[in-house]
Amino acid sequence: MRLNLARTLDRSAANGPGERYVLWVQGCTLACPGCWNPDTWPRVRRDERTIDEIEREILSVPNIEGVTFTGGEPFQQAPALAALASRVRAHGLSVVVFTGYDLAELRSAAAHSLLAVTDILIAGRYIAAQSTTDLPLRGSANQQIHMLTDRYTTSTTTGPPTCEVHIGADGTLILTGFPPPELLGHPADP
Amino acid sequence: MSAYITLMTPMTNQEILLAALTDMGFQRDQIEVHAEAVQLVGYGGERRSQTANIVIRRRHVGTASNDLGFLATPTGYQLQVSDYDRHHYGDDWVRRLNDRYRQHEAIVQERLAEAERRRLEEERRHLVEAQRLGVLARAKQLGYQVKETREGDTVRLVLLKRTY
Repeated sequence: MRLNLARTLDRSAANGPGERYVLWVQGCTLACPGCWNPDTWPRVRRDERTIDEIEREILSVPNIEGVTFTGGEPFQQAPALAALASRVRAHGLSVVVFTGYDLAELRSAAAHSLLAVTDILIAGRYIAAQSTTDLPLRGSANQQIHMLTDRYTTSTTTGPPTCEVHIGADGTLILTGFPPPELLGHPADP
Repeated sequence: MSAYITLMTPMTNQEILLAALTDMGFQRDQIEVHAEAVQLVGYGGERRSQTANIVIRRRHVGTASNDLGFLATPTGYQLQVSDYDRHHYGDDWVRRLNDRYRQHEAIVQERLAEAERRRLEEERRHLVEAQRLGVLARAKQLGYQVKETREGDTVRLVLLKRTY
């Protein structure tokens, strides 16, 4: 089973509880206007890997709390992500998924297979008019947090919102979490 | 009078050639360097038609010797050696000189490569630091608390929004 990825980050504290391995999938047909990651929309082959490879990489990162799937649209690669989530959960890791779909839209068997191995689901389109940097784990105020297992309590997701900047050895910036555009020197949306 | 002959060499760098010549037993102050090629002098003190940019005068070459010279050309220095001196400073000597030249050349190239590596590393550090300072300044303006850690060469800034 293979996944088409946009990128990964070994360790982040801005994408769910604790330190997490973050995986951005490639491909999203929802194309929310104002989305932070439009480069992850095209359904083109980008960084295709087997779930065996990704599982090994995730398990090689020490002292992480879990994994976070975001994108791109994770539910458009639900079967492979469900298989991967199932494997990493067997090693005690938790699973957080960010999706542009509302929970009610996730009715397919494939979607259910991923939901069944998800601890926290953050669901809903990104709506630029409701953009926020004040709500934890959400980019726009309409998005909903669903606790799908009892691994975490709602207090886990009510902490102060965070974002994170990784400055690579070559000076490249990776920005993750829910930052305001001004953080990178871009003007705020009017 | 011993005739001069020309032996082609692939050596092109003056400084490296001088270092190789000192390895071969000449003192540095025994070697003349001329931007414009000068005439060589024969055993009897007569000026010869051959010219060279690097010259070892005959008294340093050997008893009854003629000047030894290297003429700079675009394809490499040409050794100007008299037929008399060729027995000692002939093909075999040039081969050994060239070996020494290559060793010095490798050292110089490694030194240049190391300098280039250091320059690129310094450039990289400046870039990362500029990015870091830029993000920190903007984060402060936007009211974030920042926790900074380093993982290998990667700088990680966790920005926490104050909600009070």
